[in-house]
Amino acid sequence: MIFFILCFLDFVESSKAQVPTGMVRIDGGQFRPFVNDTGQRIRVKPFYLDAKAVTNREYKDFVEQNPRWGKQTVKAIFADENYLKHWENRQKDESANYPMVNVSWFAANAYCKSKGKRLPTTAEWELAASAPPVGSKYHDVNEIILLWYSRKMPEQAAVGSVYQNSNGIYDIFGLIWEWVDDFEKSAAGNQRDGGESIPEGLFCGSGSLGVSDVSDYATFIRYAFRGSLKGNFTSQKLGFRCAKSL
Amino acid sequence: MRKVTLKNYLTVAFGLFVLLAVNACNPSSNEKKNDASQVEAKELPGNSIYHIDGYWSDQNGDSLQLKAFAGKPVVFTMIFTHCEYACPMMVNDLKKLEALFSPEERQKFHFVMVSFDHVRDLPERLKEYAEAQELGSNWSLLHGNEDLVKELAIATDISFEFVDDGGITHSNRKLVLDKQGVILKSFNGLGTDPELMNSVLEELF
Repeated sequence: MIFFILCFLDFVESSKAQVPTGMVRIDGGQFRPFVNDTGQRIRVKPFYLDAKAVTNREYKDFVEQNPRWGKQTVKAIFADENYLKHWENRQKDESANYPMVNVSWFAANAYCKSKGKRLPTTAEWELAASAPPVGSKYHDVNEIILLWYSRKMPEQAAVGSVYQNSNGIYDIFGLIWEWVDDFEKSAAGNQRDGGESIPEGLFCGSGSLGVSDVSDYATFIRYAFRGSLKGNFTSQKLGFRCAKSL
Repeated sequence: MRKVTLKNYLTVAFGLFVLLAVNACNPSSNEKKNDASQVEAKELPGNSIYHIDGYWSDQNGDSLQLKAFAGKPVVFTMIFTHCEYACPMMVNDLKKLEALFSPEERQKFHFVMVSFDHVRDLPERLKEYAEAQELGSNWSLLHGNEDLVKELAIATDISFEFVDDGGITHSNRKLVLDKQGVILKSFNGLGTDPELMNSVLEELF
């Protein structure tokens, strides 16, 4: 028995030691899809996720090492005209620790790849985000989200300044929206027979047919937002963090 | 969209002008072999999908980048060969378009079909498919790695997802690209009227 416990502790120790710097291990689990819910759960394997969103300083280093992602050099197919817009007239040092925004999916994807990482999938992101906040500042995730949505123009703030959840992840709500690897699937629906890339299940009052929990307004907004994105879109509210497979 | 395209053309035109001006002032650079396709690739508009620069394999096993298709208009779509229903209809839509042209006219443009299925649609499989569908040399069927297929799908706004039964759910989207790989028009759904596609395509000849 003691041997078993020792082995177990050893196992826990060694798996902890392997977590890459700045990342957190997220246990796998079941994820119930929000759109086109057929009652089937998606199994999410354990993975690593950046504890904090990628910052301006980190992204600047990336651009310096990868000039093709500079404001002047980037191709329109990969990033629209608002790419890096907030860098034009920023207070340099102040915003260094603010989350990087005005980046496209292609740019976020390239950044994560350059670090040997990738963007999290929708299922991974939602699973990591669903954990409750730690500390006494907030009661639950919905409180954070609704407070955040109700602010007209959320103030900029440094990463790590809003809240931490029980997974050890910071500010997954309350600071910025974040890219996911498969954002386009929010819009895909089941298009075996083609059609426009509008998430029909989300609009036109048909929500109750395809959405798993109609009362989940916060999630609804998030999926509708993802569904409206294209790979080269950028927004001053949209940033990212990277994930990595175990 | 149209505005952006125009702006990009102007940028390209200006770029070419500068290139010519520099060449005129620098006779030695004229000695270099001035490969037309290289110039075109260099001067592609920013919104050309040919900026995706990974390497693909076609049905003959030849390795190529998308910009190899620069110079002719392209009718583009994404399919997979194990697809039983939608994809054969998509291919059929394109064949109906092709049937509007004489063999000579068919040389003026190119069909490119990229597979969603990086696992099963290897070049040999694509070749079998091309033969079974009787697709001529003006058709390229491409295999790429998972990341590359994903990037192209996102750039062309074609969504797809592997499902449990081995199938793939996907948009049924056909695109007409201009000579530089800029998306001019997209056609969603099956059974697209070939005349409708032709009206866009023949403008490009």
